[in-house]
Amino acid sequence: MRLACVYVPQLALQAALRRAPEAREAPAALLTAQGKAKPRVVELDGQARSAGVRPGMTAAQAAAACPGLRLFTATAAELEAGAAALCDVGYAFAPRVERDGERIFFAADDLGRLYPEGERAIAQAVQAHAARLGFGARVAIAPGKGSARVASRAYELAVVPAERAGARAFLAPLPIPYFTDDGELGAAFRRWGTRTAGQVAALPVSAVALRLGPAGAAVARLARAEDDEPFVPQLPPDALEEAVELDYPIYELEPLAFVLRGLCDRALERLAGRSLACAGLTLRLALEPRGLDVREIPLAAPTREAKPMVELARLDLARRPPAAAVVGVHLIALPARVRATQLDILRPAGPAPNRLAATLARLAALVGPDNVGTPAAVDSWREEAIAMRGYPLDGGAPRGASEPGDEPKLCLRHRRPPEEIEVIMERDGPAALRGAETTARVLVAAGPYRLSGEWWTETGSWAREYWDVHASDGAVYRLHRDGRTGRFYLDGYYD
Amino acid sequence: MAREISAHLVSLERLGEARGRRTTGLTALDELLGGGWPRAALSEIAGRRSSGRTAVVRAALAAAISAGESTALVDVGGTLDARAAAGVAGAPTAPALLWVRCDAAKALKAVDLVVAAGGFGTVALDLCDARLKIPDAAWVRLRHAARAQGTTVLVATGARRLGAFAAAAIDLGGAPAFDRQGPPLFTSLAARAERVRNINRGDPEGVPAPSRDGLRAAKPSSAQAIASGASQQQRPPCVSLVFTSRS
Repeated sequence: MRLACVYVPQLALQAALRRAPEAREAPAALLTAQGKAKPRVVELDGQARSAGVRPGMTAAQAAAACPGLRLFTATAAELEAGAAALCDVGYAFAPRVERDGERIFFAADDLGRLYPEGERAIAQAVQAHAARLGFGARVAIAPGKGSARVASRAYELAVVPAERAGARAFLAPLPIPYFTDDGELGAAFRRWGTRTAGQVAALPVSAVALRLGPAGAAVARLARAEDDEPFVPQLPPDALEEAVELDYPIYELEPLAFVLRGLCDRALERLAGRSLACAGLTLRLALEPRGLDVREIPLAAPTREAKPMVELARLDLARRPPAAAVVGVHLIALPARVRATQLDILRPAGPAPNRLAATLARLAALVGPDNVGTPAAVDSWREEAIAMRGYPLDGGAPRGASEPGDEPKLCLRHRRPPEEIEVIMERDGPAALRGAETTARVLVAAGPYRLSGEWWTETGSWAREYWDVHASDGAVYRLHRDGRTGRFYLDGYYD
Repeated sequence: MAREISAHLVSLERLGEARGRRTTGLTALDELLGGGWPRAALSEIAGRRSSGRTAVVRAALAAAISAGESTALVDVGGTLDARAAAGVAGAPTAPALLWVRCDAAKALKAVDLVVAAGGFGTVALDLCDARLKIPDAAWVRLRHAARAQGTTVLVATGARRLGAFAAAAIDLGGAPAFDRQGPPLFTSLAARAERVRNINRGDPEGVPAPSRDGLRAAKPSSAQAIASGASQQQRPPCVSLVFTSRS
């Protein structure tokens, strides 16, 4: 079995840098979360280290040692999101991934079909994808977990030979500290005069085990390329989460939308790596001083564009503003597969499902999700009753062709809801009407047509008298008198 | 299968017309416009209230749906009459119709999005009751998108707005008819459709194929223009349409 190992050194710092990608070029360091004690440097990049910054320094000491140093703090939510994003690097290439601290492992056997150039090309592709998600990663492909772990620690990009002899030769020149984090164990090997894996591999494993215990025996076996560490992969989670805790509370909608945009971008980048789209959003807003505001943001169709998602979230926030200032945002994206559609030879090609999904999401953001879809009949006798249901991404059921008709029907342009108007009634019916947009005499009135319905319900019963009236402005209006209140309403006009 | 194939066959005479036009769903209007609404262009249907504008739009949408095309209606004010639409489309609902309800201020943006998505055969913009000043640039942008995507965009208005941006335009006027044997009964609307504008570009041989960038559309040759101009002269400038009441 060939296993790929993706190692992200200083994962916590890199997770914090995901929200400030512009700071990657500058020296950066991670501070412990602020509390009563002074925050101290726990992780730092190469530039900061060469400038003299060391772990354990206070923020002031680090800033003095390295002018221009960017200091970050990582919250638990950010660390969790960073770790999940690291797993997504693996899920972009394999269905199951095992995470082990700052590393992930996944099976790379079948990737040869996608990358016939060889395993080095696979490793480069994995590294490039990690970079897209904001990680500077080291990648190694090896016959086992142990050798992959050692190779990823030693090289930026490594391919360990599959056969044991080749793997042993590959590992032989590597120093012992790459094989164990246990300082005492490393010192013991040094005392014996064994500094490389090749020298340790020459020792009998049983003798090493007798003197250094199971940990020493494991190092000796690994140095011989006897890699027996089990691979325990896991399926991806059902939802994808991104979160940020803010330094300052946000009171306004625009800055909150800016924060959301970053979260959506990162979530969609992770989904895109798995060839998925976002089918729905859940926002959990942490409020000041305490409390949570949880809201669901439905999407008309799975989308891979951040703009409509942010627009929909902004609309929802504008409609129902949070009760207090926001100090943290937790975004949960529901992954969905964008289905491919089989075209029909007899039908014109409709909109491409991916583009249509994005368009529907944008339309929903523009006019509201309740105003985009396809008309649906409602089980009601009310003339104005109509419902909206989701637009099918395949364009709906196919129809047969038809010749142009000769008996077209008139349409009633509904006014929703019906507008209350004043009507002068005479013995034969309405004689004049006056509304917000219409004031006219009635030339001909046809009616009344009496309709009632829903009398079997407790609250929804209604009774109306309808008239079709030809008014002096040339239009034919449909109006009704409410049987209960006696008021007149304009339903619309025929057109 | 044979039935399905034969349902999609069209006569040779109509084939030529169909190349550059989409049927209006009304035989008389097809004759008036030389085959139907032009593809890849804007068309305008103008008229006052109760002149049959909405019925003409819905007939075009129903015809496009019947032909298996994806259609969309950007409906300012949400005036859609579901039952009348179902009657024209021949089904309880119109599953292939994308219906967008919005106010006038967002209508142009919405129709831009729909057309730019591509794949929609006919897109209707209902501005019948909208009181909104629309800048020329909006029509230019919409025309460009329609040309690039090969979409027929129908714009229903209260009075002519598009001017030269429309490849075809009709003006509608209507008079209602009441059955007066006994109590009055609204039966139908007799409409008169006048062809105000009909660019010859849509005629069979002069159809410019939508170019990739939508900018370089071939102009018809002078001979084609003369021929199609002559054919337009043979057509009557206006036709009568009768829309029956749904009740």
